[in-house]
Amino acid sequence: MASSASITGLFSRLSLLSRNTTTTATMTTTTTPRLFSTTSTSLARKAPPPAAGGSAPKAARRSRQAPKSENFFRIRTLRRNMFSPAPPPLRMARLRYLRHWTIHRAWQLFRRKQHEAIEKERSRMHAGMYNACEELRKTVGPGSRGEGYLYRVAMEKKGVYGLEGVPIEYARFQTDSPAKEAWNHDWKR
Amino acid sequence: MAASSRGSRAFRGIFSSSPTICSRCATTRFYSATAATETKAPVTDASPPAASTKTPYPYDIRSGLVLTRPPLLTRTLHPFENAYFFYQKRLEERLNTPFITSIYFKPDTAAQLDWSLKVQERGGTVAKELGTYHGKSSNAWDDELKVGDQLSSQESVLNSLLKDAAARVSDDAEVIAPEDVVPVERPVERLSEADKKNDVRRLDRQMERTLYLVVKGPDGWGFPADVLKDENLHEGAKRVLDQAAGVNMNTWLVGRVPVAHLVQEPVMGKNGEVQKKGRKTFFLKGRIMAGQADLKGNPFGYTDFKWLTREELEKELSPEYFRGVRNMMADR
Repeated sequence: MASSASITGLFSRLSLLSRNTTTTATMTTTTTPRLFSTTSTSLARKAPPPAAGGSAPKAARRSRQAPKSENFFRIRTLRRNMFSPAPPPLRMARLRYLRHWTIHRAWQLFRRKQHEAIEKERSRMHAGMYNACEELRKTVGPGSRGEGYLYRVAMEKKGVYGLEGVPIEYARFQTDSPAKEAWNHDWKR
Repeated sequence: MAASSRGSRAFRGIFSSSPTICSRCATTRFYSATAATETKAPVTDASPPAASTKTPYPYDIRSGLVLTRPPLLTRTLHPFENAYFFYQKRLEERLNTPFITSIYFKPDTAAQLDWSLKVQERGGTVAKELGTYHGKSSNAWDDELKVGDQLSSQESVLNSLLKDAAARVSDDAEVIAPEDVVPVERPVERLSEADKKNDVRRLDRQMERTLYLVVKGPDGWGFPADVLKDENLHEGAKRVLDQAAGVNMNTWLVGRVPVAHLVQEPVMGKNGEVQKKGRKTFFLKGRIMAGQADLKGNPFGYTDFKWLTREELEKELSPEYFRGVRNMMADR
């Protein structure tokens, strides 16, 4: 509640500021209060003295019919609608809530199975690579090369990083529906 | 500490015969050869390694390439996922703040007319794919679908979005007659022609799965592979692919590290001589981005090729071959 009040205050200030700038453009005699300054002079500024009579401020307000700013309607729409009350929290009857809980638990279970499947897939692929590398490390050759030569070459990271590391054609997203020509079979080098 | 002290110490370690470092360790030893094999050698006496250095290595080292086509489409959602997302959207309808038309549409414009027309047809529901449902009314509790209702399926979501996308009001703010409304073009089917014909040579089949290139050689179906000729694995794999399937493919070798291997043990005689050499085949992983395989004039005797998914490979390859390479295959 306090935050919304402060925002409303900000908006009223904003409209006041725009009105003031328009008035200074037309009549340069009026003094504009500097709203957003934190200098010592503005801190020391006193509130304007209350008007003596009851009818005098009313007349002054009526006379201040400044031309509307270009954002007037936009701001009015926002001010009318931005501060609508939050909708009430969900209320559910006992069985309905039980159904909701069941759905929630089923979803959690589903997600868990998905995560575990992904985890398993990754460890399986890693194990495959690990075993292949281990076999390669024990391999002699080719030709007159010694043991583990191919492994050492395979472990080199040349060309892995940098701009040429991954071709730009590979950065294609998966889509919900294929392209009109789903695959370019006639690609020629 | 002087900057050169470390280097001089290392040199001293190699060249001097100091008692702290044995002469075997002082010789150059690569990190890939473990200390375990070094320590094993003296225990088994010097004769077996000596024999192995004299006789040629009893394995042919082969380099192969598993060329894969990554999935082109997102996966089909599980029906439970569809239903759950629909359920959540309707709960969100109950919980959100009301949609304020005047913020998003200027009054008396074609866009505003179009919007109000469509919302009226939906029975006042702002969301496009939720059917007629009012999250703020007294019937808001009735947010669950009946069993067998197809409203939450991908198909009906797509249809409702397409229906909403068609323009109903012309630019000069006149309502277009229903027979003159131009429907929005539907997206292309996820099931392609090749899927319907079951054409296993095409690359636009099974678009939400990974496809693997297999070729039919003298030994049956398998991935293209060849014996290394004094080259490294990745160079060998590249050469094999170019020779076997032609150069008209836009491919990318993912790395130099092998992802799968197959070992065929050698047949040894009684005296330890090699009667038939074994085979060690290391497969690298490649991705294809465009083009098609062409086996014309390949030197390996490949006669046919196919682009298959994992399940189809399991039927096509021999069991021990598949067991060797199955670990590198993704679930999808």
